[in-house]
Amino acid sequence: MKHTETDSTGVDWRSENASAPDMSTSERLREVYEERIRTPMVVAWADWRTRFGFIILGFYLLMALVAVLGLWREPSTSQAPRYLMLFENMNYPLGTTASGVDLAALIIHSTPSILLMITAGAVWATGIAVGIGTLAGYKGGRVDRMLMSFSDLVMAIPGLPLVIILAVTLNPENPILLGVIINISYWAGLGRSLRSQVLTIRENDYVEASRTMGVSTPKIIAKDIIPNLMPYVTVNFVFAARYVMFASVGLYFLGVLPYSTQNWGVTLNFAYSGGALFSWSAAHWLLAPMVAIMGLSLGLILLGQGMDRVFNPRVRTRMAGESKSTASDDEDAGVTEVL
Amino acid sequence: MDATDPIIEMRNARVTYDDGETFVLDDVSMAVERNEVVGVVGESGSGKSMFASAMLDAIPDPGRLSGEILYHKDDGTTIDVLELSPEELRKFRWEEVAMVFQGAMSSFNPTMKVGGHFEETLKAHDADVIEGMARAEELLADLYLDPERVLDSYPHELSGGMQQRALIALSLVLEPNVLVMDEPTAALDLLMQRSILMLLQELQEKYDLTMVFITHDLPLVAALADRMAVMYAFDLIEVAPRDQLIGDSGHPYTRALLNSTPNLDAPLEEMRAIEGQSPAPINVPSGCSYAPRCPLATEECREVDPEFYETGVGHSTACHHWERARETIDLNFEAVEDDAVGADTEDHA
Amino acid sequence: MVNYYVRRTARVFVTIYLVASLTFGLVRLLPGGPFTLLRAQLLRQGVPADEVDARIANLQNIRPDAPLWRQYIDYMGALFQGNLGESISLGEPVVSVLASAAPWTIFVVLVSTILVFVVGIFLGSLQAYWEGSRFDQLVTGVSISLMSVPFYVVAVIALYIFAYQFGWLPTAGTVANGVERELGVPFVVSALKHSVLPILSYTLGAAGGQALAMRGNSIQVLGNDYVQVARLRGLSDRRIATRYVARNAILPMYTGFLLLLGFRLGGTVILEQIFSYTGLGYYMISALNANDYPLMMGTFLVITVALVLGVYVADLTYSKIDPRISAGESDEAY
Repeated sequence: MKHTETDSTGVDWRSENASAPDMSTSERLREVYEERIRTPMVVAWADWRTRFGFIILGFYLLMALVAVLGLWREPSTSQAPRYLMLFENMNYPLGTTASGVDLAALIIHSTPSILLMITAGAVWATGIAVGIGTLAGYKGGRVDRMLMSFSDLVMAIPGLPLVIILAVTLNPENPILLGVIINISYWAGLGRSLRSQVLTIRENDYVEASRTMGVSTPKIIAKDIIPNLMPYVTVNFVFAARYVMFASVGLYFLGVLPYSTQNWGVTLNFAYSGGALFSWSAAHWLLAPMVAIMGLSLGLILLGQGMDRVFNPRVRTRMAGESKSTASDDEDAGVTEVL
Repeated sequence: MDATDPIIEMRNARVTYDDGETFVLDDVSMAVERNEVVGVVGESGSGKSMFASAMLDAIPDPGRLSGEILYHKDDGTTIDVLELSPEELRKFRWEEVAMVFQGAMSSFNPTMKVGGHFEETLKAHDADVIEGMARAEELLADLYLDPERVLDSYPHELSGGMQQRALIALSLVLEPNVLVMDEPTAALDLLMQRSILMLLQELQEKYDLTMVFITHDLPLVAALADRMAVMYAFDLIEVAPRDQLIGDSGHPYTRALLNSTPNLDAPLEEMRAIEGQSPAPINVPSGCSYAPRCPLATEECREVDPEFYETGVGHSTACHHWERARETIDLNFEAVEDDAVGADTEDHA
Repeated sequence: MVNYYVRRTARVFVTIYLVASLTFGLVRLLPGGPFTLLRAQLLRQGVPADEVDARIANLQNIRPDAPLWRQYIDYMGALFQGNLGESISLGEPVVSVLASAAPWTIFVVLVSTILVFVVGIFLGSLQAYWEGSRFDQLVTGVSISLMSVPFYVVAVIALYIFAYQFGWLPTAGTVANGVERELGVPFVVSALKHSVLPILSYTLGAAGGQALAMRGNSIQVLGNDYVQVARLRGLSDRRIATRYVARNAILPMYTGFLLLLGFRLGGTVILEQIFSYTGLGYYMISALNANDYPLMMGTFLVITVALVLGVYVADLTYSKIDPRISAGESDEAY
């Protein structure tokens, strides 16, 4: 019948239009790359914070690579004279511990598991937050209420004590699992602020247009909503990663976590309990892991700050009257700042 | 039209950004007569907001305003707004010339009651608060608002139309002589736009106000204005009494603007969008800024920036070919224009 | 309105109930069951099995041989009466241990968190006011550097410098040993002295973060139309700075304050360990090291309740402070 005919042409027309027929997949990918990756990167690179952040992270990745490829000796007791100072013996540039362990080896061989751990924790936290935040914000109604009550409940449980109890219970040795446990409840606050952003975004005309055109909910969430959240998510990804590092090092330092893998926190703990605080000749033992921690977190913060600049027009331009930013929903700017 | 009693005279006003390299207001001169309503029309990015802000010397920060803004006080003295000390300027604004911005929703402090805005304004100008609040209530009542309720509400508790009217009342609370309005109805629906316009007309008569009404919406302001001015690319291009401008405009841009305006009476196929884009502040072409889009443009237009030609009584047009424009560019609503405007004129006069 | 308060209050109880259930579940998951170790120990000492069971039941209000649901009811029932069992390592009721520990933790967390916000808001608004100035750049740089130092590193360094090297401040504890534990000048002075380093090290880095947040908020508020209109209306700079910019920039940070309070309450497990500051966090770790599960779970529960109540109070007051949020609406915008 006539009706079905128009129907099918309608479908054809739409699909054709959506995938712009004169454009091959690779071209489209390239365009997406240009628009979503290259351009922001170029802008990001222009900011000194991001540049520094990337350089620092690159350095840590390099360290991890050195460790994985075995380019530096493994740490072991009595591999060197005890209490070598910084740069005293260039074979052991960072010096050695009370039991003659090469500090550089300790630092370097801790890097891969720490990077793995903070990435896992950040992926977990932001992933869950995006899922719950967008679903609650977009769906609204009962789904929203349920999800938000749940995240309120999670928020009510103090993070570190819960992590400690879980760590004792599960005794996690795998860095990925450990990262996830440390951020087990981190997503809740982030999910809440994402939800309030989704509430604003979903009122936009183009979302409304998609909805009236009958585009399915998952597609709207994926195409119209999540891209708009990406800036905020990226920044918070970095902060979540930093939190994992701070918390894990802190817990290793306390001796709460199992010592199966190398970690700067373990080194810190041994140095602290080995009395490095009281003798100048052992100060480097304490200093090396501290510097490693602060360096990585500085890199992460710079990256986060720089990204915020790139993505956040309200910070970027303040030519009043030129563009009126409507992004007023930055409620939890302070949330990300934790330990 | 009595052209002898101007209240504000703007002379060679220019607003520059970036150390004078970017113009957003380019040598604009215009006089506003006492107690008249001037409608200033321009598309977005034509510099019309700058025109409005310039009258109060309120250009947003990096911008620099030069030229003269003369203000003739009731007592006959004249001041140059740009020469005022900060304290004098602070007094001048709102006591002599007040301004209403587009988007009333963002003009109120979201964490302060509407009444608080009135009170602090009165206090800042050392006015009698009790007397002033009584005036505020009267103004609100004039605008068909329930004064007590509105004053005791937070901005978000009022609808867009109510906020806009409250903002108008706030702008008049110190009894200024001039009210400058920058797109005061942009965010409102058509019905609300109409009623606000009616209220403005009543206020204008009741308080003998001079109004400068800035908008992109030509028909809207045509219902209210005595005189109209058209802005294009950071400069005025035509100024004329309202009926003149609508019925007998001499500038091709004005005529194109009139033809592009949705008009219920005009058949759809006669509606024309204006082709091309208005220039960005950096690269305003030499010669007539409209030349690249103008169907009548000649070599002369591209080289010589047209001065104002006297094209009728109180009618100036910045176009070399104003006569040809009148002849060759037909207005698509000519047949009905007379009643439409006529009806408005009646309740106006 | 009333409905909201009722619901919000109900949620407090539901949350506490759920967390209590969680602790019950976790105790059962702990390595080797909760009291295997203790039980083995007692049996080795030749205590009869019956008596061992009775003592263990007394410790955690659980009869190990009873069915799970029975244990659960006993456990919750005891909790409801304020009985958290008995600490294995200290031989005291958990409740009395925690009652003496909680005020210290709450004192340190509250004072330092308030300081974090006061300092952050102050610096951040000045930065925004002088945006781009050398002061702004300096504070931003310092803030970022401070943020990249974990508080426990600050704590260790501060301890080293001020306590061990210079001896200006005590190295451990909440009050000096000789001081009477009753309210009086010597007690207060000693308590303050002992709290300076924990509070200081817990404030520095976080204050930097809040300064950056406040700076961003203020810059955003400064760009708003209502600030421009206020200037045109002739309001004084001071009124604009306080009533317009500061107020509207601070309010959104309030929710952040709540979350931060929670995180920081948890963070005391590390902080108090470094300073041997006998608050909740200190006891949690020492209980952990001593396999003292009743004390550990009790601490966890009390920290949670403190947090839940804090958030509850703040939630109820927020709607009073920010007129845009009428109570309850924030939950059901859609």
